[in-house]
Amino acid sequence: MDWLEEELRRALAREDPPAGFERRVRQAVAQRRFPARQWLAAAAALILAVGAGTGYREYRGRVAKEQVKLAMRLAAASANRIQTHVRGVLQ
Amino acid sequence: MLVYLTKTGCDFEGLVHEHQAMVFSIAWHYLHDRALAEEVAQEVFLSLHRNLGRIESDAHAAAWIRKVAVQRAIDEGRKRLRRPQVTLEDIPEPASGSSASDPMLGSLLRRLVASLPETPRMIVVLRYQEDLDPAEIAEMLQMPVATVKSHLQRSMALLREKLARRSSGAGER
Repeated sequence: MDWLEEELRRALAREDPPAGFERRVRQAVAQRRFPARQWLAAAAALILAVGAGTGYREYRGRVAKEQVKLAMRLAAASANRIQTHVRGVLQ
Repeated sequence: MLVYLTKTGCDFEGLVHEHQAMVFSIAWHYLHDRALAEEVAQEVFLSLHRNLGRIESDAHAAAWIRKVAVQRAIDEGRKRLRRPQVTLEDIPEPASGSSASDPMLGSLLRRLVASLPETPRMIVVLRYQEDLDPAEIAEMLQMPVATVKSHLQRSMALLREKLARRSSGAGER
């Protein structure tokens, strides 16, 4: 074997990958093996969003109902006042 | 902790530990980019994990892993060909754990190997990193043995010429 071949063998000797490589491979395998976890997380987020939306709509409905009741009470009070005034004028 | 086994009971983590240097080095010496080489090495082991059930023995695992590493490195090299090219001088040479007698020469040789065309480059890596003989390289790359030998001869001649040109250039300075 000549000197260039010797030098090539030394220059191209095997090297270990950067530190933590085995851990990164394990993580990549685990991520690939359990994609269901990602779907579960997405489903949970969707359920939370739908639940929060429904709750907000119910809250808005209650507020609107209260406003209608208040408006009716005010209208009734006004009608009572007018009725009382009209009776007073007629008598 | 889950342990994934091959048909004959070799465990996945044991195979990663045993062959990581081989896989990483094939990609690193071929692509001359450490980050890309690590990516390729990860892909090779993910592929091994998917095909673990087909591995029949330790020797089969080693040959399978080497073949996939070679294919992935070549594929990645081709993808990179479609991206902007770099010149030999642009190729960085990070600190290396190689045992070259002259670190400068080792570094220069790795850069010169990285500048070879793709087929002879992989042949040189398999010959001098993996110590495969021309017949084994021919089988792996699916080409005639004579073609492997002629690529090797031409590559060695080219490397000698480039080294000589560089050393004469340095001598003139």
